[in-house]
Amino acid sequence: MTTTLGMRVLKALAVTLIVVWSLAPIVLGVTTSLSTQREVNEGPSHWFPHHPTTQAYRALIGGTTGEHSGGTVTQRGEFVQSMWVSAELALLSAGLTLVVATMAAYAFGRLRFRFGGFLLALLVGTMVVPIFVVVIALFKLMANAHLIDTKKGLVLVFVATLTPLATWLLYTQVREMPAEPEEAALIDGCRRWQAFVRVVIPQMSSGIAAVAAILALSVWGEFLIPLLLTQTQNAKPVTVLITEYVGKYTTNYPILAAGGVLALIPPALLALALNKRITGMLAGS
Amino acid sequence: MTATGTITLESVTKHFPGGVVAVDNLSLEVQPGEFLVLVGPSGCGKTTALRMVAGLEPVTDGQIRINDRVVTRLPPRDRDIAMVFQNYALYAHMTVRNNMAFGLKMARMPKDEIRRRVDEAAVMLGLTELLNRKPRQLSGGQRQRVAMGRAIVREPSAFLMDEPLSNLDAKLRVEMRGEIIRVQRRIAAPTLYVTHDQTEAMTMGDRVAILRDGLLQQLGTPDQVYDRPVNAFVAGFIGSPSMNLLPAGLEADGDGWAISVGGARLAAPKLLEQRRSLRGYLGKPVTLGIRPEDFGTDGGGGEIDVTVSRLESLGSELVAYLAPAGMAADTLLTARLERRASLAEGSATRVTVDVDRLYFFDPDSGAALT
Amino acid sequence: MPGRWNREGDRSARETQILGWILVVPAMAAVGALILYPLVKGFQQSIQSGGILFGELPGYVGTRNYRDVLNDPTSRDAMRHTLEYVLLAVSLELVLGIFVAVTLHRVFRGRGFVLAVLILPWALPSVVSGVLWRRVFDPDNGLLNSVLLHLHIINQPQVWLASGRGAIIYITLVHVWGVLPLISLIFLAGLQSVPDEVYSASAVDGAGPWRQFRYITLPLLRPSMAIALTVGTLLAISIFDEIYVLNGTALNTRSILIQVYNTTFVEADFAHGTALAFVLAAVTAVLGGFYALALRRSTV
Repeated sequence: MTTTLGMRVLKALAVTLIVVWSLAPIVLGVTTSLSTQREVNEGPSHWFPHHPTTQAYRALIGGTTGEHSGGTVTQRGEFVQSMWVSAELALLSAGLTLVVATMAAYAFGRLRFRFGGFLLALLVGTMVVPIFVVVIALFKLMANAHLIDTKKGLVLVFVATLTPLATWLLYTQVREMPAEPEEAALIDGCRRWQAFVRVVIPQMSSGIAAVAAILALSVWGEFLIPLLLTQTQNAKPVTVLITEYVGKYTTNYPILAAGGVLALIPPALLALALNKRITGMLAGS
Repeated sequence: MTATGTITLESVTKHFPGGVVAVDNLSLEVQPGEFLVLVGPSGCGKTTALRMVAGLEPVTDGQIRINDRVVTRLPPRDRDIAMVFQNYALYAHMTVRNNMAFGLKMARMPKDEIRRRVDEAAVMLGLTELLNRKPRQLSGGQRQRVAMGRAIVREPSAFLMDEPLSNLDAKLRVEMRGEIIRVQRRIAAPTLYVTHDQTEAMTMGDRVAILRDGLLQQLGTPDQVYDRPVNAFVAGFIGSPSMNLLPAGLEADGDGWAISVGGARLAAPKLLEQRRSLRGYLGKPVTLGIRPEDFGTDGGGGEIDVTVSRLESLGSELVAYLAPAGMAADTLLTARLERRASLAEGSATRVTVDVDRLYFFDPDSGAALT
Repeated sequence: MPGRWNREGDRSARETQILGWILVVPAMAAVGALILYPLVKGFQQSIQSGGILFGELPGYVGTRNYRDVLNDPTSRDAMRHTLEYVLLAVSLELVLGIFVAVTLHRVFRGRGFVLAVLILPWALPSVVSGVLWRRVFDPDNGLLNSVLLHLHIINQPQVWLASGRGAIIYITLVHVWGVLPLISLIFLAGLQSVPDEVYSASAVDGAGPWRQFRYITLPLLRPSMAIALTVGTLLAISIFDEIYVLNGTALNTRSILIQVYNTTFVEADFAHGTALAFVLAAVTAVLGGFYALALRRSTV
């Protein structure tokens, strides 16, 4: 096909636009986080800090001292602690969900057992239940079980809410995978579960990695559930903590942006590292 | 190695949910050391039959025995079989060595025995250099060899192969045919081999079983099924190019029988009159079968007027597509002729037919009239 | 029925049967205990009185809570806002998603980089998106005010998030920023399934880029469009994080979920909160059913 010069320019323009649109808010966040509150207040001429400073990061991690707070108060150590909580929640929830979902996906995809079809439909059907409906009722249940404000409680809820999606994604993968390697393993002397562990799981590894990333990203980004189910710093993930830095009347933008930038680094790295697998999995679902 | 072991199917039947009968009352026995090919068009049930022997598909009815042991309801691992799959089914995450060793490890065989067997098989299949590679680093032919290797190291009571050559290109396929036969002769285990390719069946099988719609049509040596097909289906399926099957009439004509086919009349050889089953068809329509190689351009026998529709020279021979006079316009006869036969496309000519080698079938049931 | 795996005496069939059950038990237990059970409990809650503010004993009240929230002006506003979020977000996502997909469909140098960058907004927490965009809309020194003042489009700073419809547009923009990558990928996958020969053939037939887009690309994207439409709708209808970060529970931008949050956890009226949440659940369930149908039709 012939491509005219005009078309090519147009296309370059469109590509640039997409890149700018995707990156601009992130870049703006980085520059803001390297500014001082005064520079931010001076407005237009100071979108890029003249004298980049890590002051906001220091305030975020080390705590604010009264006069620089500008509407935002941070406690020493709480941000780092919340980052760890987020990481712990993401890893534990994604890991547990993967175990549960991989087993279920294989069973639904490969094994014929009574009520299998019905259970799959039930499981997948819960994907359309807005989590909020459940969380209100869960709040009471969890309070009775003393699981409010604990990481354990959050992980349990995340596993339950993510299992349907993870099972569905892995189930479609199992259905597309050739059955022969597993059958070869059965002939080679494996029992079903041995074939599952030794042959099917390795066969699914790239899909499992993609789903793992999607799960971890989604737990890291989860806001509503921990907002309702946590109260103290004990189990508060970074998403919830950041929103507390938004002041009622004025906001310290450098500190807020610094929090945003630090909170986006882990998911951004994960997304960049596994981007091919993630895009493949998302596009296929 | 001495040949022992048999694979026996006795009235084996497979119904799929929804009422499809994939395999219908199939009985056959693979003899010790025998290479038996199960052949038929796609959807004829041959792969289902093989998978039932492997234990990958539950049997609806009937009995399967391996080495005289009833295995009908046993899981695959307890059947002492090895199977080669169409797409090789290698374990992608394991090296070639581990692929071959996997079954032996599962059987808790001592490590040095595993090593010895894998090395030996690797030598036999020319895989020694590749033992540390992963399957994705191998060519199609090499993967095929690994799949073979994985099967033979187990020294199973029976071999099952499901279209193992259909993913290879034509040249490699011919090469691997010989190779598989060579290996099988050495191992001498009874082998059930499934293919849709009649050439493979004819060149590889000690015996050939032809399956159609789940029903066994004929079981015999390649020569038997070629020379004495039991029905029009087998006659048309075996042989390449396919046998020409034409509507014809059988008539008593003065001092003998004659066959009218289109505008032509072929004098039938006297021998034909001794075929008892043919007598009932005098004056009635039959299906006439003529093998492409039984045509000629000179010499005796019957003669048919034709128009040459198309010629394909294969170098060694000439395949001619001929429109016989006096028959439906789209009827084309396929003839294998000598390369020197002087024919021109579009010209009318007369070809001869070896009347001693004609086949007759019932036009309705397709049964051979012998 | 003949030929079933669970036939008497079929050892591998029985193994399969048992293993199948063992493998699905954890998933079903988690979902049953933490989703289905609370769902039933929640529904019970929604048909009982029990808001502590009402000073009543819990008791069956039938559809009263539902009638209350459906007649409550604040809730109705929240529903109207939600409808606006959905319509605006979905139409933006469809148009921009097709634009991105068509742009990135063909191979070009640096495409891998652009695709990697593209999914970043999706990978980030929506709370962080809100934080990143917040400075743009700040009334005192935000990007939007300074640029528009500079260009003399406005002559005094605007409190963007306080105006009614405007605020909804800005919040939707932030939402779209995070969702667009997913929608674009859905369309990209749809385009990828179109063989290149179709385009070559149409080019030979003399079709220009616009006609190609109109008569080949768009019709072929129809299945993807159904998926994108539903995914976009389901995500927009439950919008919460972006609103909470950018404008809190302010009345002018309240979505249904913000209203549910406010009713349940700020006003501590569990009964009405749950009832409203179930109204939303009913709508999403219907949409989810539509999604399943659209998927089935596009894959068969």
